[in-house]
Amino acid sequence: MKTKHILPAVFLTPAMVILAVLALVPTVYAVVISFQDRELSRPDGQFVGLANYLSLFSDRRFINAIQVSLSWEVLTVVLTLVMAIGLGILLFECTTPKVRNLLSLLFLVPVILPRVSAAFVWKFAFHPLYGIITYPYKALTGQPLDLLSNPLTALGTVALVDVWQWGLFFSVIVLKLLETLPPQPFEAARLDHAKTWEIYAYVAIPMLKAPLISLAFVKMIESLRAFDLIYVMTRGGPGISTETLDMYAFSQGFIESGRISYASSMAVLMMVATSIAFTFIWKRARI
Amino acid sequence: MITKSLVSSIAIACAVFGVTSSAAYAAQCSGTIRVLAQPRDGLTLLERYKDEFVKLSGGADFQIDYLNENDRRAKTKADASTIGKYNVYYIDEANVALFASSGWVAPLLDYYPKENDYSDFDPGRQKVATYDGKVWFAPLTGGGDLMVYRKDLLEAAGIHPPKTLDEYVAAVEKLNQPDKGIYGTALRGQRGSGANVWRWMPFFKGFGGNWFDGKTPAFDSDAAVKATETYLKIFKYSAPGSQTGGWDEAVGAFTSGQVAMLIESTPLVGMALDKKSSQVADKIGYLPPPTPLTGGGYGHGLAIGMKANADDAAKQCAGLFVGWATSKENEQRRLEEGQFSELNRTSVMTSPKFAELYGPDLGQALAETGKVTAVNFWQSPQWPDLGDRWGIILEELITGTRTDVQGGLDELNDFAKDLVARSQ
Repeated sequence: MKTKHILPAVFLTPAMVILAVLALVPTVYAVVISFQDRELSRPDGQFVGLANYLSLFSDRRFINAIQVSLSWEVLTVVLTLVMAIGLGILLFECTTPKVRNLLSLLFLVPVILPRVSAAFVWKFAFHPLYGIITYPYKALTGQPLDLLSNPLTALGTVALVDVWQWGLFFSVIVLKLLETLPPQPFEAARLDHAKTWEIYAYVAIPMLKAPLISLAFVKMIESLRAFDLIYVMTRGGPGISTETLDMYAFSQGFIESGRISYASSMAVLMMVATSIAFTFIWKRARI
Repeated sequence: MITKSLVSSIAIACAVFGVTSSAAYAAQCSGTIRVLAQPRDGLTLLERYKDEFVKLSGGADFQIDYLNENDRRAKTKADASTIGKYNVYYIDEANVALFASSGWVAPLLDYYPKENDYSDFDPGRQKVATYDGKVWFAPLTGGGDLMVYRKDLLEAAGIHPPKTLDEYVAAVEKLNQPDKGIYGTALRGQRGSGANVWRWMPFFKGFGGNWFDGKTPAFDSDAAVKATETYLKIFKYSAPGSQTGGWDEAVGAFTSGQVAMLIESTPLVGMALDKKSSQVADKIGYLPPPTPLTGGGYGHGLAIGMKANADDAAKQCAGLFVGWATSKENEQRRLEEGQFSELNRTSVMTSPKFAELYGPDLGQALAETGKVTAVNFWQSPQWPDLGDRWGIILEELITGTRTDVQGGLDELNDFAKDLVARSQ
């Protein structure tokens, strides 16, 4: 009996020690320096209490970054799931097994591409003078279409690339999930003369609620790490209209100011806010 | 593969006999000299002659990691202030004050081989490499501005090459024909002290603007407002993509034949004349920027890192690499390869080979523009911070996410006051 109690500890300890070193040390360090006034060029900082945190709330770029980050989360998570479910059902309904497998393979390609490479390819595709996507508009109207320089369309355009990468991948997962469902509920619904959309809306998707919620969580976490995609495509512009929180923190820490304490205070706030929000959503989703 | 760290030592014989030349130290270099740079044809060319450096250094190799300009600036700053993995940094006029005053790079001339003759570099480039009376980098590129125009388009429109800013604005307006795929000009809209702010500064300084009045920020001046309004006015005729684009977008639009005229840094001429990359090589003319614009004097180059080169011998080895990379021999190789923008030495730019390749007109234009080339930016460690902040506000104004020029300058003024207070 005693061995049974010790064994988990034996296996868990090395992993926990590694995790503590890799995750806990930098986290604690970030929290500590967020209460200082350290800059890259002035490493001997003083403790300044909550000054960095208080400054954040009068910083218009920080407030804007919160709004952009929230918009980005909602836009990418919702569009990815809508695309994944829609395409997954289409593949399940309209294709033969051979075509399904071939399309599944193709749909995996975007997510395998390194994000920075994908961002460069799409950035060029959206270029108003040479881009293949904007070319038809230019050919028809004679006017260039500059989607990435327009504050109204820039975030949505970058989000499309994110959805292209993840929506196609998730559609393959949804397809595989649909294939695992038992056929009886579908047959019963058809006997009751349910239409195709009703079968999916009232039978299939409710049966897939748990894995779909998990997919939504995976995407929410992934969307928080979209720095590379946005940075390559817009650098936070035009102006600050696509500047997310992580991008602004990086910008303050390393690109513009070297204000690593100020940047850390943003990172700490982000960590606290996402932990609380995700815990809350997770608990609500399980109910 | 594990990269060997740079290991070097001073030969006992050197110490005993008091031999202090860099060549003597060089024979003791080993390991890999790590260089963090931004892509430059001249640096790529160096890789072809790696064996030459290995022989010269007595066994040391080198490895160059490339990042684009903005990323290179961020990464060099992060590396130099923390772990210091790189022996040699590519730095530029905008951050030389920060790197020097923070002690992240060593005074160059203490370690630059005398036989490589630093005084041969163009005096303008030496000036921007100097901060607080000391030289900090050896130039790889640099210069001022030139107004480059399409002779065919100007002739067809009956326009003489503009000599004043008013003439320039009128010409740009007239030459802008989007329905024919020709845009009046190409400016830089992308945020950054080295991007949109760099192209805006000649207007600011040309209209008599100053960054500070004594120790008080003076950005909300009439000159700044007029400069910004003029910049925004010309932007109406700037090629699509340039609103959030930088040097690459502006140059790309011009060399692909879609822009009538622009004012850009001098390397543009070399690129526009190169038939391999330019569709307008036979159609361009160049002159100094129209008055009262000043030229944006700039210089990029290699500096010796302090942290990765822990001792004097390591600094000597890094200095040997910098000396070799920027030597006259390597610059002549760049000239032969047609790398106009990589030329920095007076002896090379006044050589018969240069005149043979580029003709007397370019030499004349470079000499003329040298007279109006100025250091437009604020020479301070705080400059990148201030310049980048203005870059964001300017990008907002260009893309229309804000419209109040005076409000933007006032915001910058407040930011500058806070910046000055923090630095004290």
